[in-house]
Amino acid sequence: MRRLFAFVCAALASAVAVATLPAQAPLPAPLTLLSAQGRRPLTVVSVNGTEYLALEELAAGLGLTVRDDRVTGGTTVTLRARSAVLTPDRTVVSVQGRLVSLAAAPLRQDGRVLVTAEFVTRVLASVMDQRIELRRAGRLLVLGDLRVPRVATRAEYGANAAQITLDVSPATDATVTVAGGHVTVTFAADAIDAAVPTVPVQALLQSIRTGEGAPTLTLVTGPRFASHRATTQAVDAGTSRLVIDLMATGAEGLSPAAAAPAAPASTPSSPSSPAAPADPSAGLLPFDPASADGVRTVVIDPGHGGDANGTEGPGGTLEKAVTLQVSRKVKALIETRLGLRVVMTRDDDRTLDQDERAAIANNNRADLFVSIHANAAGRPTVKGAEVYYLSVDRADLETRRRLLDPAQALPQLGGGTRAIELILWETAQMRHLEQSAALAALVEASLRARVEMSPRPVQQAPFRVLVGANMPAVLVEIGYLSHPGEEKALASGEHQDRVALAIFDAISTFRERRERPAP
Amino acid sequence: MSRRRWLMAVAIGAVTVTLGWALFAALGRQLASPTPDAEPPAPVADVSSTAGPRISAILYFVADDGVSLVGVAHDVPLGATPAAQARALVEAQLGTEPPAPLGRAVPKDVAVRGVFLPGRDDAYVDLDSAFVSALPGGSHNELLAAYAIVSVLTTNLSPVTRVQILIDGREVETLAGHVDLREPLRKNEGLIRTP
Repeated sequence: MRRLFAFVCAALASAVAVATLPAQAPLPAPLTLLSAQGRRPLTVVSVNGTEYLALEELAAGLGLTVRDDRVTGGTTVTLRARSAVLTPDRTVVSVQGRLVSLAAAPLRQDGRVLVTAEFVTRVLASVMDQRIELRRAGRLLVLGDLRVPRVATRAEYGANAAQITLDVSPATDATVTVAGGHVTVTFAADAIDAAVPTVPVQALLQSIRTGEGAPTLTLVTGPRFASHRATTQAVDAGTSRLVIDLMATGAEGLSPAAAAPAAPASTPSSPSSPAAPADPSAGLLPFDPASADGVRTVVIDPGHGGDANGTEGPGGTLEKAVTLQVSRKVKALIETRLGLRVVMTRDDDRTLDQDERAAIANNNRADLFVSIHANAAGRPTVKGAEVYYLSVDRADLETRRRLLDPAQALPQLGGGTRAIELILWETAQMRHLEQSAALAALVEASLRARVEMSPRPVQQAPFRVLVGANMPAVLVEIGYLSHPGEEKALASGEHQDRVALAIFDAISTFRERRERPAP
Repeated sequence: MSRRRWLMAVAIGAVTVTLGWALFAALGRQLASPTPDAEPPAPVADVSSTAGPRISAILYFVADDGVSLVGVAHDVPLGATPAAQARALVEAQLGTEPPAPLGRAVPKDVAVRGVFLPGRDDAYVDLDSAFVSALPGGSHNELLAAYAIVSVLTTNLSPVTRVQILIDGREVETLAGHVDLREPLRKNEGLIRTP
């Protein structure tokens, strides 16, 4: 018992001792002098928390002459006819006869003269008559007019998907390539000023690193990496955003991306060009925060497909075929007339479960979700189009509470907390119901102007496909295949055009109202 | 620690583990989903010819507009228990032909595997898979079929406010790709037309 007590005491004491050890200052990372002649590493030493560079090492890299004056104790830095005179431990430096005041005085240590980065950018730049810019994020000293865009990197990662967002300022062209299983972004620049986040080694994304001496940023992928997708968005006049989505092999429930063919080996990406049209098999695509109040991405969901034929008309017309045809027409209209990104949950005859459909919309951060179906009734005289949005009679108090508590603070790696928006899949649609109702009303009005409507044109129903959609969502029944006359119409291109145009008009109107709400 | 204390500690630990296991097992049984009757699916009863006491209940059929449900009074056998009454109601809904010009909302000749009332408000109706295979598709047919079952119980069995449809003893996502059946449904008054 005494031994146990002693052991516990010792362990506690050790833990307290370790916890209270003073944190050791890490060795400062070297700076890199970047010039038209190339790159040159510069040793950095830390003195009382301030980073210093060796003046002689700097002078060698910049082609300067350094001469100590033993009489005055000063040091003269010269380039051709231009010079600066500094005195260790004094914060005032004479540059071409003009006094420059520094925050930290040069030091003399171990026979070396140490100067701060400020000395470089203010004093040496004047001596050289060139711009020298310190880029702290990338640990760069940039000499002259080199193209060195800042690249702010943000990574969100998981087991099945990862999204890396690069905000590039000033806007710079970039090319994304895959080589050796890694995804490399090459910028049209002399170098990049990038501080990359440390990500935990995972089976999909293992690390992010900048190129040694090259304007590149490499995503080191793991064994589960299957494909990537890169899209470019304009953030503002001077900044472009490149978003790279990594998709894993066998990622289920997220998207069909894993099953999609790998993206091209090289994907040019220019901030001046719009994002590539969405691949129907697209899985994860980035979200443009600027679209939060507008409509940038629309997901069209052709009902049924594959093993699920849906209903069948007396003439043999299958619901899954009609819905796909109309969906393609809606997609073409939106893309060509509005220039919006349209993602189809399926663009062929494939089986999709209900959660996959909503997942595609959610993963694409869609602003609208429109599911297209054709109906059937036991009575063959029933006909007309209908529009549905989700009914919410099953919402319980707990889900409502969660809806009213949109953000929760979760602990994050390295300490502190991060506000995370938690949305139950089952309640994703609930907070968009008002907008869904508005969209349903617009679709109904637009359809009514072109095709016959059912006696119950707008309804609410607990439709499975709408439950998990985290955006305004409607299900459009474009007509009754069980009505012989309507079956023929729905199978015809002309009627399909009318239906597609009606849905397109409604989406267009919804977008206008959302982006320019009435005063 | 003395041998006696050690033995006491072991005994207390064993009792704690045993009680915990017993509690866990009992809770597990309590929380488990209802299982279908052990007996094989019963044939659809000929409700109209069943002898014995009867009650007047409302059954639901497709209205003459083709898009709504409408309630019609019909005699149904009196059940000895709430669960038996619920089963009788569902069997009547499935087995009764609608009066003209109304139409069927649910497929014919579908066996009721069981009806459970595990709580005060919820009912679980376990139907044979023929209920799914006989549906002609379309969200409209699916809505009418699901809500006819829901309505016949919520209307005639007052404590019941929610009904979940099971197929072959299992929870299903939908009947034909539309209506979410993963949780009990409440009566949809908007779908019901006053006769």
